[in-house]
Amino acid sequence: MRARWGLFLVIPFAVSVLLLVGSQGIFLRGSLFRDLGLGRFGRELTLANYLRVFGDPFYLGSLRLTIEISAMTAALTLILAFPVAYVLARMRSRWALVLLAAVTISSFVSVIIKTLGLIVLFSGKGPINRALLGLGLVAEPVTIFGSPTGVVVGLMHYTLGFGVLLLFSVIQTIPRSVEEAAQVHGAGRRRVFLRVVLPLALPGVVATALVVFNLCMGAFTSAAVLGKGKVLTLPVLIYRTILLEVRYGMGGTLAAVLLVSVLLINVLSLVVLARLHAARRLVVA
Amino acid sequence: MRGRSGARLLAAVWLAAVYAFLLVPLLVVAGASLNGGPPVAYVSFPPERLALDWYRDIPRSQLRAIGLSLGLATVSALAASGLGVPAALGLVRGRFPGKALVGALLRAPLQIPLVVIGVAFLQLYHAVGDVTGVDLAASFAGLAIAHAFAGMPYVIGATAAVLQRFDTRLEEAAVSLGASRWSTFRRVTLPVIAPGVYTGALYAFMLSFTDVPVVLFLAGPGFTTFPVEVFHTFQFDFDPTVLASSTLVMGFSLVMLVAIQRLAGLDTLLRSGGVAGGR
Repeated sequence: MRARWGLFLVIPFAVSVLLLVGSQGIFLRGSLFRDLGLGRFGRELTLANYLRVFGDPFYLGSLRLTIEISAMTAALTLILAFPVAYVLARMRSRWALVLLAAVTISSFVSVIIKTLGLIVLFSGKGPINRALLGLGLVAEPVTIFGSPTGVVVGLMHYTLGFGVLLLFSVIQTIPRSVEEAAQVHGAGRRRVFLRVVLPLALPGVVATALVVFNLCMGAFTSAAVLGKGKVLTLPVLIYRTILLEVRYGMGGTLAAVLLVSVLLINVLSLVVLARLHAARRLVVA
Repeated sequence: MRGRSGARLLAAVWLAAVYAFLLVPLLVVAGASLNGGPPVAYVSFPPERLALDWYRDIPRSQLRAIGLSLGLATVSALAASGLGVPAALGLVRGRFPGKALVGALLRAPLQIPLVVIGVAFLQLYHAVGDVTGVDLAASFAGLAIAHAFAGMPYVIGATAAVLQRFDTRLEEAAVSLGASRWSTFRRVTLPVIAPGVYTGALYAFMLSFTDVPVVLFLAGPGFTTFPVEVFHTFQFDFDPTVLASSTLVMGFSLVMLVAIQRLAGLDTLLRSGGVAGGR
């Protein structure tokens, strides 16, 4: 009976792998031929496109900007989301469910509509600027659009809900009794948080940080709309290179660089985390 | 006790700030859509007057785009479920060598940014077109295949999560009471895993329904989904009717979420990693 269940996999696996290998294989292969523009390729295998990306400050700057914006968003998302997730996980009233549902609802609204809301809210004559002007805090309307700040705000709006939901499930796995035990033994609130809650939550926090970071590295819509073409992260640059400049080879190369750098950063952080874990175990032992 | 109430106040302020940041932009869209009046360079909120003009004036192109989005999301969610549910059954219950690798390959699309999926499928479709003469780029089928590919891991993940908690004694009981294998599957297994399937299908639906980058690469002129239609109004002249249509779309997403929550339960919805929602 057991052996049969494996057969259910044959068709889905074949379809998925065929599409995976077909789609990824073709653009990766294309990146290994010289880009002659207008979707034409050279005939010889060459690393020319990669040498260009890694030799050109423009492309390297884009990679750096993408990583910086993503790291910044991940850090801010964690800082904002953790207290919310903690309060929700420890709340005993029915309000917890309502608050949880509100986060879920906001997470299901599409990025483009969230972006639309942020544009209306932060625009020159929008409510925020009118309030700032009315209070005399600024002399002229301030704008966050067309700058990395605007993109970070947009990305945070997109990742904050997921951050709260993920951290909520992490904190739920830490029994309340552990905290109470520490308190009974005389630890203050701060100490309980720093020495008990945070260490226990750390693996989950790091996992959440990576999920948010990955989402940001690949995020296109907020970066393209709120960056107004002035914040060229890798996803925006890939879109321009392929759809506006019709340079398939270069676009494929940039896509490969994005894909590999995300994977590398993830593997590296997991290795670092494992090291930290091992080190702590040694100390405890 | 003073430190305690101070901490409570801080927590309340923190929560209020985060919820305001999450929800106000959405309420602003709905509120500003009621402004009405001639198309303007900026939108005021709170609305200066209440009118439904912009709802009446939603152009046909936007309605067509909403229709295409709904159709595309439905077809790709069905395809993702049709492939993902059997895959989850095989992954959780099958016993064969290399299972970990098979699972990793099935989850691989989750690691690929949507922009890269767009680039990759555009070139795949060009290559397929060169060989067979069938151009999948700028076609409904081409979009549905790419979205189903990206959405399938969510169905597998959500269904597998429920299957792993499944008590197989239920099935053994059904068989021992004389139920056939097919009727055991249909009357015992399926109802139990249904919450996971609904949840996974919802995620796959939402991925397709909200996606911009993949459609940008694969859609042709005059053939766009709703998010891409809105994206284009940002690039060119801002058309305030998108506030009205966006509010309608938000309302639809809310109804859909509530319906699935009724079917699957908030718990399953949250447990399958709320993260799946969007990319």
